[in-house]
Amino acid sequence: MNISPSEAEQALDVIQSMVKKTRRAVSTSGAYLFLIVWGTIWLIGFASSQFLADAVVGKIWAGLDILGAVLSAIIGIRMNRGVRSTSVSPLLGKRIGLFWLLLWVFCAAAIAVIWPPEPKQLAMIIILFVMTGWIAMGLLLSLMSASWGLAFTALALAAYFLLPDFFYIIMAILGGGGMIVLGLYIRSRW
Amino acid sequence: MSELNETIHQPIRLRIMAALVTLASDEEMDFTTLRKLLEVTDGNLGAHLRKLEEAGYIAVTKTFVERKPRTYVAVTPAGRQVFNQHVAALEKILKRK
Repeated sequence: MNISPSEAEQALDVIQSMVKKTRRAVSTSGAYLFLIVWGTIWLIGFASSQFLADAVVGKIWAGLDILGAVLSAIIGIRMNRGVRSTSVSPLLGKRIGLFWLLLWVFCAAAIAVIWPPEPKQLAMIIILFVMTGWIAMGLLLSLMSASWGLAFTALALAAYFLLPDFFYIIMAILGGGGMIVLGLYIRSRW
Repeated sequence: MSELNETIHQPIRLRIMAALVTLASDEEMDFTTLRKLLEVTDGNLGAHLRKLEEAGYIAVTKTFVERKPRTYVAVTPAGRQVFNQHVAALEKILKRK
């Protein structure tokens, strides 16, 4: 079989664009969307906590959390990658779902134990539980993701203990903003 | 030695192989997802998959997911090797330009 160099170049271009398209469609699996959604929620929520009155902030956070849960569910349902692994149990998805459900129950229990919490304590406890879930998922699916979870946790703890007056604004800009940037970076990388 | 493969070089089959080799060696892609990626009809994709399966380059698994029939397609180790050789041959031709 003989082909010209221009035909070879065309074929290589076809392969390259197909590889890129496939990666976009299945490899990132839409995980970056979770980062962008929750990054935006943190950005708005924590900025509100820093600058607005407690009564208003509670309502804003409640609205944002409901919005986040709805959007996460929609992303999760639409995230069907159309790819399955022969070495991973088909029950894994259900176990991951159960893990997150239990994690939220444990988080609610921890909050109940310290009730009534200070607003900052409440935020920090939720952050710690979310990051525990994130890191657990990272250890299971992507070590790089786990390292980002560790970095966000370290940032939150440092802000909570060392700069309590700026805790909310740090979480808004570096935490929420960081998640958005990370989400956009993952999107562009693939 | 790298050489061109006539079965793989056909444009749609080249795209099928490119999509499947992008997956990890233990992963397989659902027929519908592959059809959407390639933007081809069911019949067209089915015909090209049969050719590749006959050549031993892909494996097709028919199964049931939540009581619905589902077809999964994966590249075989031989298919991956032949595809890599095909790409190497294309690059070699391009270098001679």
